[in-house]
Amino acid sequence: MTQRKSLDYVKKDYIRTRTLPGSWYLSSYKYKFNITHMKPFLEKLKEKKLIANQCSSCNRVFYPPRFVCGKCLVKPDKWVDIRNTASVSTYAISYLKDPETGEVQQRPMVLVHHDGADTASIAELSPDLDVKDTYVGMPIITHWRDERTGGLMDIEYYDKFDDDSDDLRNND
Amino acid sequence: MGRQVAIASAGFSEHASKRSDVSMPELVSEAIEDCLKNAPSVELGDIDAFVNGNMPAFEGSNIPELWMTDWMGARNKPLLRVTTGGTTGGTVAISGYYTVAAGLPGVDTVLAVAFEQQSQGDTSVGLASVAYGEISILNTLGIPYDQISRLLSAGAAIGVAAYQATTYMNKTKIKEEDLARVVVQNRRNAAKTWWAHLKMPNLTIEEVLDTPYVQYPLRYGMVCPASDGACAMLFTTEEKAKNMCDIPVYVNGVASVANESAVLGYDGSGSAQVDPSMQLGAIRSSELAYKQAGISFPRKEIDYAEVYAPFPNQQLLWTEKLGLFEEGTAPAMHEAGVTDFNGELPVNCSGGVNATNAIGASAMERPAEAALQIMGKASNQVPKTVHTAIGSGWGGSLNLITLMAMSDQPKRQWR
Amino acid sequence: MQKVGIVGYYQVKLYSDANYGHYEMIFEASRGALDKAGLKKKDISTVISCTNDYYDGRTISNCFTVEVGGGYMADESKVEMDGAHAVLYGLMRVLSGNHNLAVVWGGSMPSCYPYHTVRLYETDPTWERSLAYVNDITSAGFQMRAYMEKYGVTVEEIAKVAVKNKKNAAKNPLALKEAQLANLTVKDVLDSGKYADPVTELMVAPPCDGVAALLLAPEKQALKITDKPVWITGVGYNQDAYYLGDRDLSGCKSMNLAAKMAYNAAGITDPYSEIDVAELFESYAHEELIFAEELGFADKGKGAEINSAINGDLAINPSGGALGGNPPCATGLIRVIEAVKQLTGEAGQYQVKGAKKAVASGQIGMCAQNNILYVLEAN
Repeated sequence: MTQRKSLDYVKKDYIRTRTLPGSWYLSSYKYKFNITHMKPFLEKLKEKKLIANQCSSCNRVFYPPRFVCGKCLVKPDKWVDIRNTASVSTYAISYLKDPETGEVQQRPMVLVHHDGADTASIAELSPDLDVKDTYVGMPIITHWRDERTGGLMDIEYYDKFDDDSDDLRNND
Repeated sequence: MGRQVAIASAGFSEHASKRSDVSMPELVSEAIEDCLKNAPSVELGDIDAFVNGNMPAFEGSNIPELWMTDWMGARNKPLLRVTTGGTTGGTVAISGYYTVAAGLPGVDTVLAVAFEQQSQGDTSVGLASVAYGEISILNTLGIPYDQISRLLSAGAAIGVAAYQATTYMNKTKIKEEDLARVVVQNRRNAAKTWWAHLKMPNLTIEEVLDTPYVQYPLRYGMVCPASDGACAMLFTTEEKAKNMCDIPVYVNGVASVANESAVLGYDGSGSAQVDPSMQLGAIRSSELAYKQAGISFPRKEIDYAEVYAPFPNQQLLWTEKLGLFEEGTAPAMHEAGVTDFNGELPVNCSGGVNATNAIGASAMERPAEAALQIMGKASNQVPKTVHTAIGSGWGGSLNLITLMAMSDQPKRQWR
Repeated sequence: MQKVGIVGYYQVKLYSDANYGHYEMIFEASRGALDKAGLKKKDISTVISCTNDYYDGRTISNCFTVEVGGGYMADESKVEMDGAHAVLYGLMRVLSGNHNLAVVWGGSMPSCYPYHTVRLYETDPTWERSLAYVNDITSAGFQMRAYMEKYGVTVEEIAKVAVKNKKNAAKNPLALKEAQLANLTVKDVLDSGKYADPVTELMVAPPCDGVAALLLAPEKQALKITDKPVWITGVGYNQDAYYLGDRDLSGCKSMNLAAKMAYNAAGITDPYSEIDVAELFESYAHEELIFAEELGFADKGKGAEINSAINGDLAINPSGGALGGNPPCATGLIRVIEAVKQLTGEAGQYQVKGAKKAVASGQIGMCAQNNILYVLEAN
């Protein structure tokens, strides 16, 4: 990212050498991946249930399900149920310019840490929530889509979960 | 097995946002000439092997070390290419160390060079393509494309580091002024470094805060630039180094421990790092490197540190994770002036990555500057005598790290 | 040079369009290599991978492979050349005394992208790429013509190399199915489609999907892990000039210098009589003859006279070589693995009897610009 014009710095102009235009595609590519480990999870999403897989060597629970446990270099072999309550482990705010209206929208992208899981997943918060109210450790709950098809969008977004416990505010 | 390795010289090319006067190989030869200028008794024919690296997505050239053979002086010489994304410079330097330490017959002096010419391509496309595979998987699993584009823009040039910034700021309760103070210190230091990019000797905190957000909580005025530049380092054995320079810098500890990826996992499987600012990889790397180097109390034994911090919150984070300060105390240390030019433990007196970021080269410039500080030849040389220094690198999906611990005494012990 | 042993290996079967996920293949290779040596994840000290950003379709191709390659909390790095160069980096890490077990893996999946188009990005963008005269196949055509004209080697003699390698691949269960041609004849090779005269399709090493991994350990640990470690006694690597006009294309100077470096370290003075089997990475059939001459197995121009069959005087590529399947970034590594198999007696139907010393090579760049050679010895 380059600097804005208000910040001066020593800017040197170099004599141009010869140039040649070119183009290259990193994107004419076909990615191959194996999602057999995701199938049971995607099926359960239709029933509004969340499951995760667990590595029996280190007992870590992976949500969303993982193909290989990196710590042990084995495939996780057990399935466990996961609660639909979670907390925000970290977040970032993206600024998107709407191409039609030109206004800049602020949308938080959050890393959601489900209770009982040892990993986190990327998700969005409810559009009714104010961006400024997001904080690390905020308790949230899944908001299911009305029509579920067995894809990751069956969780439409996460709602704020009104839990007044003090210990949820101090995230360590 | 193994032998002591010394750094005899380091050199840089001029860094700018557009080095429109040179092609990629010419940029590399500029850095190599500067490196050999600092070690006048070394000729190109004395170099036994080469190591080369950059991040190839930015220039549209795959394995460019083949093209620049003659510009490096590597014709009919052994050459190895090592690339690891953002940590490329650090891993090239580490590879230069290993090439000498291995003791292959006839390989005693190694020239390691890392470079980047980002103006040749599109930086944000090059950076965003880290996750193309994972994003297309998420698309197949049902997430619509516009939400994915929000995910990509939540990164932009900052990438996934924004998530790390949020948890760190939450833990230490620092404010934007603390971040801006780090930026001001870096850019003012860069004004005294001849090869740096953003030289701003009169920068103030208000000017930094007067820019819009690129990614909460980081503003445009706080993030690193995209530079063109190259860096070269000369590694050699203990005996030969004594003839090449006055104060050889011995590489006593190296480590590059990797962690599971954060934010976006492989195959779209989520973040294995729930808290990206914990950085187990950095903690483990520092344990390994300090053990090799015989450093038991880093806070007191290390005199100078160059940490890889394209964003100001990372400068504070790495000083904690690499063992220089206790957890959560880095902002207070910085405010108290411990990391100033005149302080007890100066950090990033070359301006750091915040002032110059040629991605392929910047992780090598950190150990190179730290080595020059020990030799007494840095352009922004600190007043205290530097005996032990570290240079670090960071990259990947918040999961790759490199660390090199150096000193003016050969301290590497093998059991 | 201190002795470093290869204590385990694994190669995924090669497919031209594998029905595998990318990470699935990497996991199979690294887990397979660990299982073969009977070791655990926590024994791993360092992991060196070999992938290429352009072949993987993303930058920093190693950041997401950390978990599946066994690199979690291990000292990890990536070489962006041939798999054999990654073995070199793993070897250097073990020789330095810092690490006791190195995992080296590499591979890619060219079914995901147009291979020969992406190879164009290796060319010099300021001159060669825009002219498009020089690409990986036309440069092979230049070299084959130069070699044939200088020494009077006929195109049939070169086609015989392709026939031998494809027949050998038919005995190798892990080779590419389309390359396993047990009944191939010289006429078939010469009649297959012309790529760039005089190179024909069956003379080109076919790109395919594949990943391989191997384990390195220092002498003391290697003897504890397995009773059949294979020692790397010499290594040499060298890079030639880039522009084709700056080199003598009828030979390969970088292979010559790499061989000198490796033989010097291993103490080999008469390669033809001391070496029992050679696994060479030949991207085109004529490269095998050129390499055999540069390695000292025959005089210049007489490469075709070596009896290089499996039961011949000096077996070259008994596994089929790269003509039996060329997964980019893994082929050189597979050549090292095949040489190891010969020395431990695990090569099955294509075993060379009584093999005690072997060489294995890898290469990268147009007309083999950068070559690496290993000298391997049985325990």
